[in-house]
Amino acid sequence: MSQLKTAVAGTEKTRRRRFFSSRDKVTLGLFIGVPTFLHIALVWFPAIATIMLSFTYWTGIRLEDIRWAGLANYENIFFNTPIFWDALRVNTIWLLWFFVIATPLGVLLAYQIDRQIRGHQFYQSAYYLPVVLSLAVTGIIWNFLLRPDGFVNGLLGLPISEAISFFGDDDYNIWVIMVMASWRHIGYIMLLYLAGLKAVDASLREAASIDGATEWQTFLKVILGAMRPVNIIILVITIIESLRAFDMVYIIYGSSGGLPILGVLVFNNIAGEGASMKGAAYAVILFLLSIVPIIAYLNQQFKEDNQ
Amino acid sequence: MLNKIAGHEVDRRLLLKGAAAGGLGIAGATMLAGCAPSAAGPLSFGARTVDESPTKQLQGLIAAYTAKTGNEVAYNATESNAFQNNLSQYLQGTPDDCFQWMAGFRMQFFADQGLLVDLSDVWNEIGDQYNESYKIASTGTDGKQYFVPQSWYPWGLHFRKSMMAEIGLTPESITNWDEFLAALGELKGKGLIGLAAADKGGWEAMGTFDVINARLNGYQFHVDLLAGREKWTDDRVKEVFRHWEMLLPYQNTNVLDLEWDGAMQLLLQKQAGFFMNGSWFGANFLEQSQEDYDDLWIVPWPEMNPEHGRDTIDAPIDGFCVAKNGANNAGGADLAKFAGDMEGVQAMLDTGIPMTSANKGQDTSTYDAFQLQQLAVMNEAKYITQFLDRDTRPDFAGPIIGPAFQSWFKDPSSTDSILESLQSQWDALPALS
Repeated sequence: MSQLKTAVAGTEKTRRRRFFSSRDKVTLGLFIGVPTFLHIALVWFPAIATIMLSFTYWTGIRLEDIRWAGLANYENIFFNTPIFWDALRVNTIWLLWFFVIATPLGVLLAYQIDRQIRGHQFYQSAYYLPVVLSLAVTGIIWNFLLRPDGFVNGLLGLPISEAISFFGDDDYNIWVIMVMASWRHIGYIMLLYLAGLKAVDASLREAASIDGATEWQTFLKVILGAMRPVNIIILVITIIESLRAFDMVYIIYGSSGGLPILGVLVFNNIAGEGASMKGAAYAVILFLLSIVPIIAYLNQQFKEDNQ
Repeated sequence: MLNKIAGHEVDRRLLLKGAAAGGLGIAGATMLAGCAPSAAGPLSFGARTVDESPTKQLQGLIAAYTAKTGNEVAYNATESNAFQNNLSQYLQGTPDDCFQWMAGFRMQFFADQGLLVDLSDVWNEIGDQYNESYKIASTGTDGKQYFVPQSWYPWGLHFRKSMMAEIGLTPESITNWDEFLAALGELKGKGLIGLAAADKGGWEAMGTFDVINARLNGYQFHVDLLAGREKWTDDRVKEVFRHWEMLLPYQNTNVLDLEWDGAMQLLLQKQAGFFMNGSWFGANFLEQSQEDYDDLWIVPWPEMNPEHGRDTIDAPIDGFCVAKNGANNAGGADLAKFAGDMEGVQAMLDTGIPMTSANKGQDTSTYDAFQLQQLAVMNEAKYITQFLDRDTRPDFAGPIIGPAFQSWFKDPSSTDSILESLQSQWDALPALS
C-alpha cells in the first residue's frame, strides 16, 4: 500500500516537473528573473566595476579618460598615504570596542530584559530608541551636546576658547565617537538578541535549573548554545557595522580627516572635485577586510554544523 | 526676512502671469520667437549656500531677473560643502541651469571635462564692465570664458577696532613679523587669544599657510609649489612651518574642534584679538548688529621678508557658471549675463548685504568703510592668488593637504615627516590628462 503511494507520488513529481504551463513559466521567470536582474545590475555590476576601476586612473567623468594604472592606486595607499594607517587603526579600535564592550553589553541587557526585571518594558524602549533614529540624527544630537559651543561645554561654563575639545583632541575624540556609536549599537544588538531569547524553549531553562545550574551556568552552557544562529548573525553585524562606519563621523567631521576612518576615505577620494580611483581602491580594501573574516567564520561554523 | 522676499516674488509672478493672460501673451510669444537664442524660462538656479545673508542676496538677484524677463526661476540651495562634494555627479546628472561656483583652477577643471557652457558670448556683451584680471580668472584652458564673476574678498587679519583701542594696540601700524608677535604677546598677557584659528573643516588653515609662504618665499615660489614645480621638502617650506609654529602659543588650543564660524565667534565675542580669514564673514557680523559690523576692520598680514614685502594676497573670486547638462542652456547663460551685468549686481547690492562686486560699475563711493578698507588691502598687493584649494589640483588639496595640516596641528614637531609624506603623495598622483 505504502509502496504504491510513493510510486504515485513519484510519478506526480516527475509529471509536475515536466508540465509547467507556459503561464507558470512566465510567472516563475518574472519572480526569479526580475530580482536577479536587479541584483546583478545594482549589486554585482557596480561591485565588479569598482574592483576593476580600482586598477585605473580616472576622474569619474568621461569614460574615454580611463587609463590603466595597474597596482599604482594600492601602492599609493599602502606606501604613501599615512592617513590610511590612521584610519585602519581607528577602524580596528572600533571593531575591538564593539566586540569587547558594546555587543556583550547589548547581550547582557537583552538577557536582563528577558528575565522580566521590574520596569523591563521601559528599559526596552529606552535602549531601543537610539536605533530608531538614523545615525545622521544621532550624530547631530551628539554634535549639539559636545561641540565647543554645545550643551556640555555650556553647562561647564567654558567659553569657546577653553572648551573641552571633545572632537578635536586625539585623547578624547575616538572614545567620544565610540560612546556615540555604542549608544545605538547596544540597542540594536539587544533587540536582535531579545528576539532570539524569546524563541528559546523555556523547558531548557527549567531543566537546567532542576539540574542545579546557576543563572550564569545556564546562560553560558545552555542558552548561549541554543542561540547559536543568532550569535552568528550578531557577530557578522558587529564586524560589518564597525568596518562600514561612516555616517556619524561624516556628520561630525565632514569629509575632512578630523577622525580618519576607511568609510570616509572612500568617500573623500571618490566624491567631489578630487575624485580619483584611489577611492575605488579604498572601497576594495574595505570590502576585503569585511568579507574575508566573515566568510572564514561562516565556513567554519557550517563545517561544524555538518559534522 | 526670507519669507518677505519669497512673498514678494510670488506677487510679481502673479502680476506677470496676469499681464501675459491679458493679451500680451501672443505678441510676447512671437517676439521671443524672433530673438535668435531664445532665453525663455523656466530655468533653475543652484546656490551653494544655505546661510541667511547670501541667500537673501541671491534671492534678490533672482527676483530682479524674473521681474525683468518674466522667466521663472526655481531656486535650489545646497549647503556649501555638500555642494562641492557632489559637484561632479551634479554636473553629469540633471543640474540646475545656472549655478554658483569659483573662478580659476576649480572652474577650469570642469570646463575641461566639457561640463560647462561656453560663456564667451556673454563676455562679449558685458566684458567691458570688468577688468582684464577677472576675464583671465574666468577663462578656461582653451581660451574661452566659462564663468561670470560675482564678488571677491581679501584674506587678511581681521580685528575689532573698539577692542584694540581699549587694549591700546594699533594694528594698522603693525607692519612686520616682530611687531605682530609682540602684539600677540600683549593680547596673551591680557588673558586673550592672540589669533583665532580653526581647521576642523580641513581648509581654514590653508589661508594662513598661503600667506606665510607668500610673505617668506614670494609669490612665484608659492605658485610654483602649488603647481608641483617646487618640492614640499624644500627648506623654504620648512621655514613656513617654523614661523607658523611661532603663532601656535597665541592661538586657541582647540583649532581642530572649530570650523571657521567657531573661530569667528571668538572674534565676535571679543575673546580673540585677530582672526585670519576671508572678509566675507562681515555679513555674519552684520547679521548680529550694525554696531558689530562697523567695529570690524582688516589689515594685511605683516611683512616677513623685506624682499617680498606685502605684495601677495589671497583674494578668491566667486561667481556663476552654466551647466552643459542643464535643461535650458540659453536660459542659464541669460541669467548668468544678468548676474554679471550691472543691473543684476545692483539688485544684489539693493538687498543691503555687503558685497564687493567684481563689476567696475559698482561705484566704490557706495562702499562702506569696511569695504573701502578691503579694497585698500587688495590694492596694496601686487600679486593676487585665489586660495590654496583653488590654486592646486583638487585631488591634492582636499584629500591630501587638508589632513596633513590637521596632523601638523596635532604634532608640530613632525613637520619634516609630514612634508616628506606630502611630497611623496604629490609624486604618486597620476599625471593630469
